[in-house]
Amino acid sequence: MFDTYSAYIVNNPISSIAVFITVLPLTLTIARRAFLDKSLRLLFCYLAVKLIIDLAMLHYASNRTNNIILYNLSIPLFYALLGGMFYFKFAEKPRRQFLIISIIGLFFFCAWDIVNSNEDLQNMREHRVVLYSKMVEGVLMILVILLYFYEIIKSLQIPNLLTFPFFWVCSGLLLYYSSLIFIAPVIHYAYTWNNTMDLGITEFIPSIFEIICALFFSVGIYHYSPKDYAKQ
Amino acid sequence: MQNSEELKWALLIASLAMLAMAFCMIAFVMYYQKRRFEEEKKISDIEKNYNRLLLDTALNSEETERRRIAQDLHDDIGTMLSLTKLSLNQLSKLVANSGNEKEESIMKKSQSLVEETILHVRRITRDLVPTTLERFGLMEAIEEFIHKLEEDNNLVIAFQSNTEEFPRQGQKLELTLYRIMQELVNNAIKHASCSKIDIVLEIDEEMIGLRVTDNGVGFDPEKIKESNLAGLGLLGIESRLAIVNGTVQYEQPAKGGSSAIARIPVNPVSGNKPEPLHPFRREKVNI
Ligand SMILES: Nc1ncnc2c1ncn2[C@@H]1O[C@H](COP(=O)(O)OP(=O)(O)OP(=O)(O)O)[C@@H](O)[C@H]1O
Ligand SMILES: [Mg+2]
Repeated sequence: MFDTYSAYIVNNPISSIAVFITVLPLTLTIARRAFLDKSLRLLFCYLAVKLIIDLAMLHYASNRTNNIILYNLSIPLFYALLGGMFYFKFAEKPRRQFLIISIIGLFFFCAWDIVNSNEDLQNMREHRVVLYSKMVEGVLMILVILLYFYEIIKSLQIPNLLTFPFFWVCSGLLLYYSSLIFIAPVIHYAYTWNNTMDLGITEFIPSIFEIICALFFSVGIYHYSPKDYAKQ
Repeated sequence: MQNSEELKWALLIASLAMLAMAFCMIAFVMYYQKRRFEEEKKISDIEKNYNRLLLDTALNSEETERRRIAQDLHDDIGTMLSLTKLSLNQLSKLVANSGNEKEESIMKKSQSLVEETILHVRRITRDLVPTTLERFGLMEAIEEFIHKLEEDNNLVIAFQSNTEEFPRQGQKLELTLYRIMQELVNNAIKHASCSKIDIVLEIDEEMIGLRVTDNGVGFDPEKIKESNLAGLGLLGIESRLAIVNGTVQYEQPAKGGSSAIARIPVNPVSGNKPEPLHPFRREKVNI
């Protein structure tokens, strides 16, 4: 049992690190009491859910069981949690409405995409990665982050961005989703049992940026202090 | 396989381009935000300076106006009163010759009234423009002020300083301190119903401290400010201090009463003596 995990981890070091690095921002959130902030509380939920799903996927992957359904289902869930963070940050109502609509929209789109990408839904073994959803999630996420950046610049309320936790969170997410956006559709074709396509280093880019993203989260959460929160 | 290889490169390049864009975006936001902040700060600095200038001008023109009134009082009313006195003196001689008792007593009364008026006018002009302050400095001015108050009020005012010889300060600074002292003491008399006022003037290398303590009813400056009870006095103190980078602090001593401490950075007069701000310097234009 333990051997299968360690064998998988040794064979896939980068994606394994991407799984376990999530623990770092999680513990930091608790240590810095960052869950006092509504947005960071959602981030905490996201990290916890992500860790659980990733561990489950790791478990199935090392047992050579198809885990892709987890990946597919996580897409709308992650977007809901990450996008939800911005709900508390946006000052204007239309943006919040856009956010809610996009979360619901992505949910249905994802459901359609899962049905569309799989000829036989019952066949879990041949379940395939959705074709568009991850990319759409990326586009939406980048859009939301850029909107938020625009708001930061316009409102001029944060004197130093480098010590502002949420800026680090946004930057991490922006980098992660930027790295993913073109690769995501290709994964649909790459992640099948009779894989004929070898993506080479490109395959690792999202994992690498997942790690970088987690590090950005950590830096951001490290800068959080409950005192600032009280001041807001 | 050729196709797949090309696709791989295309993917890699596209992803890297996207990442580069993301990096640029983040850097841009940081840079732009920083620049906007600096600009904003500059603007608010300018605004602050401008406001300070406005205030300065307002206070200056107030002083100028006082001077003008004092001068007019002295030159016009004062001269006329002197002339009246002269005429009355002549008249009184005539009246004395005529030997009418009643006329003589009316004459005496008019004369003493005119004399009193002259004294009053002189006092008012001196109150309007603190000439003692300009000529002899803060210590003398405060002492004179106290002396005058003690004469016609039934209260004890004590004045202490930590130096024998208080070094002369810039004109504006001395006037600021004097006016603040005046307002604080006036407040104590008006509102505190106290029997004793302590004035302490302290100076060290950097700061001048002025403390006025009374043993009256005491007050909470925060509450006064909130409830817009504040008259011009307390606000005026603050605006005067803002011009010379000073601060004011109110305390409520345990044994009752209230205490105000104003602190101003020292600003000794530089080498050449400033021309004395004599109230009657202005050339006479009218008449
Ligand atoms: N020494 C003091 N003791 C008790 N109350 C005071 C004292 N000084 C000020 N106050 C209170 O603070 C209020 C505001 O004082 P401030 O000097 O600003 O106005 P003012 O004296 O009423 O009017 P003005 O000074 O414009 O003639 C006063 O109305 C008074 O209630
Ligand atoms: Mg007053």
